[in-house]
Amino acid sequence: MSASLSTRDLDRLIDDRADEGWFSVHRDAFRDPAVFELEMRHIFEATWNFVGLESQLPNPNDFLTTTIGRSPVVVMRDAEGKLGCFLNSCRHKGAMVFHTNAGNGPHHSCPYHGWTYDTGGRCIAITSQRQGCYPEAFKAMEHDLARVARFDSYRGLLFASLSADVPPLEEYLGDAKRGIDLVVDQGPEGIELIPGAVSFTYNANWKFQLENSSDTYHFIPTHTSYIGVLEKRRSARAASSGASAAAAPAGSIYEDIGAQAASRRGCFTFAHGHVLMWGDNPAVSARPLYPMLPEIEKRVGKVMAKWMMYVRNLTLFPNVQIAENASMQLRIIRPLAVDRTEMLAYCVAPKGEPAQARIKRLRQYEDFFNPTGFATPDDTSAYEACQRGDEARTLDWQQGYARGLTEVKAGGNAESEELGIRPQTSTVGGYRMGDETVFHGNYRAWLELLKRGVARK
Amino acid sequence: MRADLAEVTALLHQEAMLLDEQDWDGWLALYDEDAEFWMPAWKSETEPTSDPMRELSMIYYSGRAGLEDRVQRIRSGKSVASTPLRRTSHMVGNVMLLPDDPAHANLVQVKSSFNVHVYDTRAKTQHVFFGRTTHGLSRDEANGALRIGRKKIILVNDCIPTMLDIYCV
Repeated sequence: MSASLSTRDLDRLIDDRADEGWFSVHRDAFRDPAVFELEMRHIFEATWNFVGLESQLPNPNDFLTTTIGRSPVVVMRDAEGKLGCFLNSCRHKGAMVFHTNAGNGPHHSCPYHGWTYDTGGRCIAITSQRQGCYPEAFKAMEHDLARVARFDSYRGLLFASLSADVPPLEEYLGDAKRGIDLVVDQGPEGIELIPGAVSFTYNANWKFQLENSSDTYHFIPTHTSYIGVLEKRRSARAASSGASAAAAPAGSIYEDIGAQAASRRGCFTFAHGHVLMWGDNPAVSARPLYPMLPEIEKRVGKVMAKWMMYVRNLTLFPNVQIAENASMQLRIIRPLAVDRTEMLAYCVAPKGEPAQARIKRLRQYEDFFNPTGFATPDDTSAYEACQRGDEARTLDWQQGYARGLTEVKAGGNAESEELGIRPQTSTVGGYRMGDETVFHGNYRAWLELLKRGVARK
Repeated sequence: MRADLAEVTALLHQEAMLLDEQDWDGWLALYDEDAEFWMPAWKSETEPTSDPMRELSMIYYSGRAGLEDRVQRIRSGKSVASTPLRRTSHMVGNVMLLPDDPAHANLVQVKSSFNVHVYDTRAKTQHVFFGRTTHGLSRDEANGALRIGRKKIILVNDCIPTMLDIYCV
């Protein structure tokens, strides 16, 4: 493909004939650097991105740093307690002003020539300004850190956009908000990130991660070795307690893979590319949240409590996923190149959960989610296999968007009614259905944003 | 319990060589059944996590069974991250005996530095993991040999390229 793509070129990347029973994505979406450039400009740098949690900035003058697309940003609570989000780039020569993941302090000086900013982003000192012989044009300029175009929060989740041409945040999130509610409402005082962030990279396109979170099809084939370990643990536990294997307490929701395979899985897609995959989890007692269930039921009602105990993987397009299956992970996707991605991941917990539940949450998380654990390395290695295999340049189209096509329904179903939401599409089926129509929602938003960006140019 | 520097250094070298030669049974045999294996995560640029019961670790096991699980997965042939297995070369240095730790009074405390070169045969890429390790060593009552009762790994470069398993540190 050429270095600059037209809307017609973009249309050729998605074969969306779901009404007629077909959907596919062209492999150039994963391997063409020109597509990646457009994704940065017209998706990541043109719509809402998750930038952090309010609970990461509890005090005046707290800050955290992150990126929106390629742009370094800082989120700060000013001296009066008001949150703001700014480009982390000194107005003088562009040096990053904030050099740590997080911190606290009322004033921040650029390390190069010492321009100094307060936590409201105001430039409060330009080194030797009076002696600087500056022209009037400079004096007339604003020197503050540049604010992002839009910054807002929903239930303590902070989002920012570098473009002002976006819908209001709540409209953008739409009914995917319920997926956030099901996380935030788990604790009477909300949620927190457990200390200890883990970052990792993989040499493949960011959209493999985007898809994998709601890909129920891969679990058994990709994680066979992990399932084998869980089965061994289950037998060992049974032997040590003298009970039969089936009666042994599950150490993970996946320990009894037979019960998991007998459960249902479903997916909702929403406008703007968000999706929610769910599963009615039979191993409720294996969840760290289980001891809190009576309190949760009393507070949020039995239906919402039931959904909190379900497996739920939420993708808020384009850059954040909250996966709740074995423990709970919040992960931020940061594309670095067409074939390289950085992930930043946190273990999420209700504030004030019991000590034993916290230990279980940590061990389940480390086991499953860490790049040093049993599951994520097999996912990322599979993405890398895809990236290398997608170099087979005479092959054009993936065949990975067809499962579930005879089942997917426009609008909602009984499950969405329970949640009081109206998705664009919904599916529900047996564990082995491995719905792939859930990705259609991602790619429809993806294509729409790219085409809109290219047309605007 | 006492041990001299030469003896503990030999054990650390032996562990490194067993991992590089993928002698998993030999490696597991170095560990006490209740051995703690801990690699903290980092909570800031300067501070690793310090309490595995309240904060996240990269890896935490309170017994050898966790390491046996790792070996089972490595040998299964069913982990794409582990098949074909990456090749490694461990370099262990700066070995020093530490004063006794009251929290682990029965163990000789040894600190060392490591560089582990990891080669991915598929991508033909390599990576170096580096950091510091504290071993807590006990003595086998039957044959007098040193064994590992505790291993704490501070991984200095903690942004993980694709994967890290027990043989990469």
